[in-house]
Amino acid sequence: MKRKLLLLSIMSAAIFTAKAQDSTLSITGSVDTYYKYDFADPKGGLGQIPTSFATDHNSLSIGMVDIALKKKISKAAFVGELSFGPRGQYQSIPAGDGNDLNGTNSFHIQNLYISYDLTDKLNVTAGYMGTFIGYEVISPTANFNYSTSYLFTNGPFQNAGFKATYTFSDKVSLMAGIFNDQWNGYRAFENGMDNFGAQLGLHPVEGWDAYLNVITGHTMGTEFDLTTAYQITDMFKLGLNAAVYSSSDYAKANFELPGFAGVALYPQVAVSSSVSLGLRGEYFKFKSDGPDVKAITATANIKAGPLTFIPEVRLDSWNEEAFEKKNGDPTKSASQFLLAAVYAF
Amino acid sequence: MNKIVLLILVVSAFSITSVHAQNKDSLSFDERNKYIYYQVAEETKVKADTLYERALHFLKNAFENDRLKLSKEDKDKAILTGKGGFMVTKKALVSMQDDAKITFNMVIEVKDGKYRYWFTDFAAIPYRRDRYANFSPVDGKKIPLEQGLRKLGQKTLDDYLEQTLINCRNISGVLKTYMQKPSGTPKNDGIKRSVTTKEW
Repeated sequence: MKRKLLLLSIMSAAIFTAKAQDSTLSITGSVDTYYKYDFADPKGGLGQIPTSFATDHNSLSIGMVDIALKKKISKAAFVGELSFGPRGQYQSIPAGDGNDLNGTNSFHIQNLYISYDLTDKLNVTAGYMGTFIGYEVISPTANFNYSTSYLFTNGPFQNAGFKATYTFSDKVSLMAGIFNDQWNGYRAFENGMDNFGAQLGLHPVEGWDAYLNVITGHTMGTEFDLTTAYQITDMFKLGLNAAVYSSSDYAKANFELPGFAGVALYPQVAVSSSVSLGLRGEYFKFKSDGPDVKAITATANIKAGPLTFIPEVRLDSWNEEAFEKKNGDPTKSASQFLLAAVYAF
Repeated sequence: MNKIVLLILVVSAFSITSVHAQNKDSLSFDERNKYIYYQVAEETKVKADTLYERALHFLKNAFENDRLKLSKEDKDKAILTGKGGFMVTKKALVSMQDDAKITFNMVIEVKDGKYRYWFTDFAAIPYRRDRYANFSPVDGKKIPLEQGLRKLGQKTLDDYLEQTLINCRNISGVLKTYMQKPSGTPKNDGIKRSVTTKEW
């Protein structure tokens, strides 16, 4: 009996010690899965709408398991976010270091950075970070819609570099930084850190946030982006994303990247504490007389604790015959239904 | 074995008694139907002016600005107001994650020999994961706890109220310490003074 009590005491002490040591370590993440049906029933297992993620047709498919570690001690913090699965690997991050031998290798890293608060108002961060450009993000827990916009798909996903953020007041902040030459890459390639990026954050009134973003460089070109959201009433929120991208000569020659411009509107209504309904209406156009598309997506978020069900219907209409009908005839429009489940932990 | 069982029973009884004793103070509703944590305390030998200075010193120095800071002082009415906030967490995979920030106002009013203070205007700013894998405030959301049942659900509201009460008690404890001593109390500068071992 005494031995058991002693053992119990030692175990308790060990648990308390472990908790004390790990008290600031945060482990969070998500798991997501979905079923999608493209109403043209295309062959080959893939849907027709060409934006990111939720690609598979008539299939119960996986998104990713995403695990983020974060720790902050005093003024120093790190974030390491790993992801596994189609959404968390080849659909959102590059493979290896770009060499042939690493062609199919993945580092699984969505975010890897270290930051330090130089003062209460000034923070510096270095590493590989989710991009500051745009309204939508890679993590399904931070998006309302499960499918993504054309603006998201065609903009940067991550930027590796160094940035400094200064908070002037509750209403104004400014970030400026230098980033690697190619968007999304883990390292710089031919042109070093030739991207300059900046974000002006404005919070004019309670409930309204606006971010004016720019990233510009010789390698990739220049993108200007406005991301804003206004919680107009307790129930109603309106978001807006507008961007224009001019491809550089280097990007045209090496990556065949066209320029683009677009705008997306995100009205959302909270029906109750667990149910919200939202629309995404987007107009997107490739520059230089390229095609354009109008897309509308109706989405619901139904929350049950950490689990969110996302039923969604989407209709895309191009100004040229970009899709196929069920009988194989070309058509300008395509539509799809999907049901996703996202568990956040 | 019997002694161990007896010891466990005594410890359990003591714990339960302690919890009940702590729960004498609680959140209530005020005349505006807002949650309030209200306390009156005595410092019988201390003048109002002195208590005012001590309360001012408390609001200016006791906590980091994002946790509690002075927002208004009115010496004529002997009332001080502070604004503050604290994080509420929820259990994540193996650790806690930021779930929301509860903001509040704190009012301190002094008279000769006593003072009263209250916390009110509690509102929750939900946090969610952002693109950098941090948890940050949801843009534009601020939910008064009085509307919590409808907007947060019973379980979350209960959890937030419990953590709010704990926070109010913690700040109260610090306030009482400040109100008992002169306001010019220097901060511990961390410098170790020399110690003589010759006399003891």
